[in-house]
Amino acid sequence: MPSSPWFSHWFQRHPTTATVPAMVQLRNVVKQYPNGIRCLKRINLTLKQGDFLFIIGTSGTGKSTLLKLLYGEEQASSGQVQVNGVDVGSLHGDRLAKFRRRIGVVFQDYKLIPNRTVADNVAFVLQAQGKRQQEINRRLLPTLKMVGLAAKADSFPDQLSGGEQQRVSIARAIVSTPPLLLADEPTGNLDPYNATQILRTLQNLNAYGATVIVTTHDRHMALQSQQPVLELHQGVLYPVHSDAIAAPLPH
Amino acid sequence: MLANLTKLTYLLRETWAGLQRGGWMNGAAISTVTVLLFLFGLCLQTSWQLDALFDHFGTQLEVSVYLEPEMAGAELLPTVETLPTVDAVRLVTKEEAWDSLLTELGVSDRTLATQQLEGNPLVDELKVTVINPTVIPAVVQHLQGLEGVDRAVYINEATERFRQIQRGLNWVSITITVVLSLTAIAVITTTLNLIALARQNELEIMQLVGATKAWILLPFVLHGIFFGAVGGAIALLLITLLRTLLQEILMTQTGFLRFLADGFTISAVQHSLLSLVVLSLGISIGTAGSLFAIRRVSFR
Repeated sequence: MPSSPWFSHWFQRHPTTATVPAMVQLRNVVKQYPNGIRCLKRINLTLKQGDFLFIIGTSGTGKSTLLKLLYGEEQASSGQVQVNGVDVGSLHGDRLAKFRRRIGVVFQDYKLIPNRTVADNVAFVLQAQGKRQQEINRRLLPTLKMVGLAAKADSFPDQLSGGEQQRVSIARAIVSTPPLLLADEPTGNLDPYNATQILRTLQNLNAYGATVIVTTHDRHMALQSQQPVLELHQGVLYPVHSDAIAAPLPH
Repeated sequence: MLANLTKLTYLLRETWAGLQRGGWMNGAAISTVTVLLFLFGLCLQTSWQLDALFDHFGTQLEVSVYLEPEMAGAELLPTVETLPTVDAVRLVTKEEAWDSLLTELGVSDRTLATQQLEGNPLVDELKVTVINPTVIPAVVQHLQGLEGVDRAVYINEATERFRQIQRGLNWVSITITVVLSLTAIAVITTTLNLIALARQNELEIMQLVGATKAWILLPFVLHGIFFGAVGGAIALLLITLLRTLLQEILMTQTGFLRFLADGFTISAVQHSLLSLVVLSLGISIGTAGSLFAIRRVSFR
């Protein structure tokens, strides 16, 4: 397990023991869009603190929608979405904003701000949450080190490779030490090597105690990871059992 | 205290980022606010200046009777005094008037000035106060009919004209202020909307990482306030420059124009009040524009 004095707090705050309460709980969740398309049908899912889960499925099956329900960008048509004991559907305004501070989100398209440096993009989260500069400075460098980008703190996003940009996106998601990390197709735009690096980073974060949910259309990569995998197919989650898990992740 | 300072620094930095995104649209918004506040401030200042002139003329019910050059005021004085509607009469001889005028003009060599004009050009004047304002027109008509009277001037007629000008100016001022305020608000709203559009990605990220609505929108309000404050400051600068310039031009003139130069002076209190009113209006308009703009930023 990587060692970092600051990240070790994370591990202590979120111990992965069998007695811990559910971090994510979805009960009979249905999501139907105004055009009548029902992309999620009676989803039931429970994740405990410290779990790692892959959700696989082809494009357009509702993986992103499922994650959006968790961080409150979409609301379930019916059913209950609970994160860390909070009913997400009932949150609005500032309560929702403060709730989101406890969730890190990694996007497929990175969503970086082009005219800000790597450090600014990451610090932006803490600034937007009203954190003091001293606190921002304390967290920034360890986070960048964690994703291997300390040397590129002053670079702009367009000076980075796709893999590096995605790692900035991860740094931004974890800098506020959220107990839940959602990664929406984090390797979708990356080559296999960079995809593996990103996956390793997410697994490291999970090792520190963060609950991680990763969506991907890359079935092979998910199965290789030796982590639990669910497949979203026609709005329903199915467990995926693979007896033929491929060789270890390439170095 | 430190936390508040950090927050203020962040808000100012975000406002600055918005300004940088605004580009030339900032100039358009500030120009509109400047034109509005310049015209508004100018109207307000002129209104005060007219007030000062009004006060200068006095409000007493007094008729000035200017006699013909060869007529001596002392001769006519007893006749006017006996009129039943006249309360008091005061004689201002042409020597007194000339002396007073030369003093006002700051002429030191009075003999030379008199020689240059081939004698005192003024005439004797009777200042007539009546018992009741309603009889003034009749008294004026009667006095004008007397022999040796060149003309009788009812000073309040002049002040009434000033009042009319002032009322007209107020209407012009209100119309300009309303029309240009709406224009300025529209320009500020459009500018901030375009900036919000350019920063859509940032705003979306801010929402996703847990920034509160106020935290996201406050920089836009500060941006609007900045437009108003800068527009107000430029307008005040232009008003002051214009007033100083006109004063300097008029000070080189003589007679009535010189008299107007004094009227152009505004007191220190009025100066502060003008700054306060112009800046407050600017900031209010900037705030209104920004509030209209942020209504369109969607939140969940």
